[in-house]
Amino acid sequence: MSACNQRAAGDSLYLAEAKVYPREVSGRFARLRTLSVWVLLGIFYLLPWLQWNGRQAVLFDLPARKFFILGLVFWPQDFIFLTWLLIIAALALFFFTAIGGRLWCGYACPQTVWTETFLWMERFAEGNRGARLKLDQAPWSAAKIGRKALKQFLWIAFALWTGFTFVGFFTPIRTLAGEVMGFALGPWETFWIIFYGFATYGNAGYLREQVCKYMCPYARFQSAMFDRDTLVITYDEQRGEPRGARRRGTDARAQGKGDCIDCTLCVQVCPTGIDIRKGLQIECIACAACIDVCDDVMDKMGSPRGLIRYTTTHALEHRPTRILRPRTLIYGAILGLLMVGFVLAVALRSPVSLDVIRDRNVLFKLTDDGNVDNVYTIRILNKSEHPQRFVLEARGASPLTLIAKQTEYQVPSGAVYSLPLRVRRVAYEPLGAETIVFTLRSLDDPAVHTETEARFLAPTR
Amino acid sequence: MPASSGEQRDIGARSRALGVIVWSAFLAAAMATMVCFALLDPQAIAAGEAPHWWTGRLRVYAVGFFFFWLIGLLAATLCWQLATAPRREP
Repeated sequence: MSACNQRAAGDSLYLAEAKVYPREVSGRFARLRTLSVWVLLGIFYLLPWLQWNGRQAVLFDLPARKFFILGLVFWPQDFIFLTWLLIIAALALFFFTAIGGRLWCGYACPQTVWTETFLWMERFAEGNRGARLKLDQAPWSAAKIGRKALKQFLWIAFALWTGFTFVGFFTPIRTLAGEVMGFALGPWETFWIIFYGFATYGNAGYLREQVCKYMCPYARFQSAMFDRDTLVITYDEQRGEPRGARRRGTDARAQGKGDCIDCTLCVQVCPTGIDIRKGLQIECIACAACIDVCDDVMDKMGSPRGLIRYTTTHALEHRPTRILRPRTLIYGAILGLLMVGFVLAVALRSPVSLDVIRDRNVLFKLTDDGNVDNVYTIRILNKSEHPQRFVLEARGASPLTLIAKQTEYQVPSGAVYSLPLRVRRVAYEPLGAETIVFTLRSLDDPAVHTETEARFLAPTR
Repeated sequence: MPASSGEQRDIGARSRALGVIVWSAFLAAAMATMVCFALLDPQAIAAGEAPHWWTGRLRVYAVGFFFFWLIGLLAATLCWQLATAPRREP
């Protein structure tokens, strides 16, 4: 067994760790992860190129302070939805962790997904585990420089593309691509592409499992979601021990041995370099590489699969595993409620919003014929997908007249329309200030309307 | 990297603390930037009241992020100091 997969006490950080050379693995769970990598990275790299009604389908337009997600436009006023979504994401993580253990870590975490791709590139440039170990021990030669250079080239190119794509979610990617081609990138765009590219390169190329062990907050508190009914990857000690080498097809029991042949392949494939046979450890990201490789070995040895398998503590104790239990029911119920609420709230979100801001310089104005005028600035936000015409009216205790340049406001989709407006109260009665209500109606869609209150100031006598 | 030996160099408590400080401050800064600029529009500040570097939204976002990171670094460093410093004489 190679020394580099062995770990001493895990209290060293980053560079202090010995490098892990995960052995390539194939099997059910490896295929599942490969699929997950393609799907997730496919979404990440292709999504910004998708068009919707002549604009980028998903664009978090920070300079314009508008988020476009397919047909929806979100404004800073909709920040609550983002918060809501993050809470849903967190609860979903709790829920799936309680049921399936660290499924997130093994298959969906960006750290896992990008590390996997960086490993593919490493394998392409430097060969499999044995070749990489040999290469790193070999003295520098032209061949070694060539292989290392190829790896660095692939890594850096992929990292920069990742940074470019990332920035493409925040600034229109087609424009960005044009600027990259013409070497006309702005300083901040350049900075963020390099910043994010470097983060990808460092995390997926070098830090790898260290991120999970030392940087990830989730890894630290995930055990709080675990109980004896949670799926974990476990080595079946009762079946495997005492471990030891034996000839293929021979009966382990007859030789007084367990099914584990101590081939150490489960240690060699582990991306975090642990030995699963020592029991569940905090470093285990539940990638199931050890299951795949052990199943292969068991097949070859003619023993049943599952010496290392997904199972629960209860199952190992020969007790029934309960999927429905207070923990999952509570997580599930809260998650369900939040999700239904979210969908409803987004669907019922008013497609228009109206802000009324009083003019700060003038309290009110008295006209010669005994009327009171207040001046406001009106902001109409059309959050819908279509341009709309709006009419505005105001009502108070006595009749109000709106004095503006026009009576009908044409607002394009996703745009803000801002106009100064004078509101005239016909007489002094009632005396003093009052709260008036502005109502905005769409002429194109009668269902679209909104109301906003504002103070109307007037002299008391 | 020392792959063959498998031995581990200890980078020491200070470097370890540095890593944790930088990283936790980064997470806090990301969060603060998001919330802060969701609620405040840099462009809404009245003309003439903004400092000279306050030119565009993207620039203010970026400066804001690094500002929050700096504050986070200060807080995390202070926290580390206070959490580790007190050692009574036996």
